[in-house]
Amino acid sequence: MPRPIHLWAFLQGIGHYPSGWRHPGAEPEGVFTMDYYARVGRLVEKGRFDAIVFGDQLQSRGVRGRTPEHLAMPTLDPMALLSAIASVTQHVGLVNTLSTTYWSPEGLAERFATMDRMSGGRAGWNIVTTAHPDTAPNFGDEDLPEKSQRYKMAAQTVAQAQAIWRERNAALGPSPQARPVFVQAGQSGDGRDFAASIAEAIFCSAPTIEEGIAFRNDMRARVAAAGRDPDAVRIMPGLSFILAETEAAAIAKDQAILDLADEALCIEYLSESLNCDLTGFDPAGPIPVDHILSQTCFPKADIGRALEKPAAIGLPLGKFASGYVRTPRGHNVFRGTASQLANMMIQWVEAGACDGFTLQPAYMPGELEIFVEEVVPILQAAGALRMDYPGSTLRETMGLPRWPADMAA
Amino acid sequence: MTRSFILSAGIGDPALADPAMAAQFVTAAETAGVDLLLLGRHDSLLFDPQVIAAWAAPRVSRLGLVPLVSSRIAHPFHVARSLSAIDYLSGGLLGWCPVAQGGSAAQLADLVRATRALWDGWDDDCLIIDKESGRYLDTTKVRPSNYVGTHYAVRGPVNAMRPKQGHPVLVCDAASPFAVPGIDVVIAAEGQAFPAAARRLLRVDPDVDIAAMAVRFAAGEIDGLHVDLINPVVELARIGKALAPITQGRPSAGTLRERLGLPLTLRNIHEEIA
Repeated sequence: MPRPIHLWAFLQGIGHYPSGWRHPGAEPEGVFTMDYYARVGRLVEKGRFDAIVFGDQLQSRGVRGRTPEHLAMPTLDPMALLSAIASVTQHVGLVNTLSTTYWSPEGLAERFATMDRMSGGRAGWNIVTTAHPDTAPNFGDEDLPEKSQRYKMAAQTVAQAQAIWRERNAALGPSPQARPVFVQAGQSGDGRDFAASIAEAIFCSAPTIEEGIAFRNDMRARVAAAGRDPDAVRIMPGLSFILAETEAAAIAKDQAILDLADEALCIEYLSESLNCDLTGFDPAGPIPVDHILSQTCFPKADIGRALEKPAAIGLPLGKFASGYVRTPRGHNVFRGTASQLANMMIQWVEAGACDGFTLQPAYMPGELEIFVEEVVPILQAAGALRMDYPGSTLRETMGLPRWPADMAA
Repeated sequence: MTRSFILSAGIGDPALADPAMAAQFVTAAETAGVDLLLLGRHDSLLFDPQVIAAWAAPRVSRLGLVPLVSSRIAHPFHVARSLSAIDYLSGGLLGWCPVAQGGSAAQLADLVRATRALWDGWDDDCLIIDKESGRYLDTTKVRPSNYVGTHYAVRGPVNAMRPKQGHPVLVCDAASPFAVPGIDVVIAAEGQAFPAAARRLLRVDPDVDIAAMAVRFAAGEIDGLHVDLINPVVELARIGKALAPITQGRPSAGTLRERLGLPLTLRNIHEEIA
């Protein structure tokens, strides 16, 4: 029997491609309705996924108060979505992203404790420190704390939340999982050590099987060095996918979705990525390098290096932006048939590159429906994916010890 | 227009955080014709009422869900986002009842103002969602709120859509009062001081003489009743039955605001400041 594959559905608005909302199989109006989330909840349970994960940000997309016109936003608050989905599903885990920098330990502890009870033990917490500088003014601050400070705060906030959960469990009776499953996605040294110290599942990017193996080995070593059991941690890299009847058709389908990203969308997307509004510049004109470097609050050296070559060859702004949208940023992008994808997934898990995948559908719900209808049965027939859920809590579903050691009285 | 009687009930029992119990409470409240179900009590908040309101959202067809929002732990940016989502998920059946829980009334009022300012950063009609042209949003209808109050400073825009009802129905419990314009519903006991509001509900015990209350409603003294439930399922069945003569035939379609005849009078923060 192959090693079991764990599946997570990473849902981000209407999909992970910035132009995905324009696809005929996308339902952009759905993201404001309960019916849509009820359907998605049933779909992922049919596919026997471990969990639904929502990413989150605490600032609106856009640059300097200008909101994009061509990107699908705003979206709704993930904690509310997951709590509502809990009400219409029985098994799927519900992993919410929440910031240790801009949530109080009391507030987040109460929120997750309530969610763990209301979902019958399916709550997970993707622990983030918040990296976008525009977040600070939404909380009365001028600047974000610097990165190492944020990780110190994260460790303190988690420890305080753990103390609150122990108290609450003693006073009110334990919530079904005692506390949410801890999920982390740090990629830097600080981030990896933090994840090794607490995470039960780790989300990462692994564009190739070799990088997956290297990351998983590194994390397992760090987990062991932190005095924890590496087998009690699931490594779940992101996976984008475009499925069709043939590989050529999948490539054409991918291209067609990317072509829905017109120049105006691409320039807005690039503006957001550089934190510099470029929508007033002529798309046929040169890349305004000096303007970008004077405006951006991201590391100027890195951005300058990235712009140097395209500017030198005289690439117009619009063309540069279009190329940028088409460049995968770190995640594995699969284009092919359902059986090719299933084989690739089995191969990665067998090779020790991961314990499963965090699926990032290009558009919603169409592409996820195709995955559940076509890839899931192949994985099940191969014995790599469960036919039924083993229990009711997220830890049982993930095959992890039911009671975390830190919750002992 | 005939004045519609408003029935409000509150549950502070920690059993509300047990999904099997919560399901019974929500069903009993819908059946009893309750308009506003307050989740939590100002002196009893052992769980997060916003999570329970979101969980209950797919289960209600006319019942208004009113989570208590405590300024002890809430921040307007988080409040604006989660209430926006619950308002959509419930089909526009959301209210909210801010409470201070030992904090100051000034901070509580500031929480309300800051949260409204964030919602007002988005116009009702800002979404275009045209696949053909690729335009999703009219960016001229979105703006930073730049709110600076006594306790909170929030720039915005908030990354959440303006709620389905514009603003969820604002409920004030006179036991934890705050002073802002545009309070929709106030709940006050006999003889208790309360801030100005569009509707006034009298706080009564579950075993109150319903017939006497119906007379006071008809005389225009009160707009409805609020009952703090101790044994929710039993009391809701009894109250629903006793009130049936005056609650039957009320509108059951539309958003909570539409049904209660409470149009949003403050459309944006600039009006409120002016």
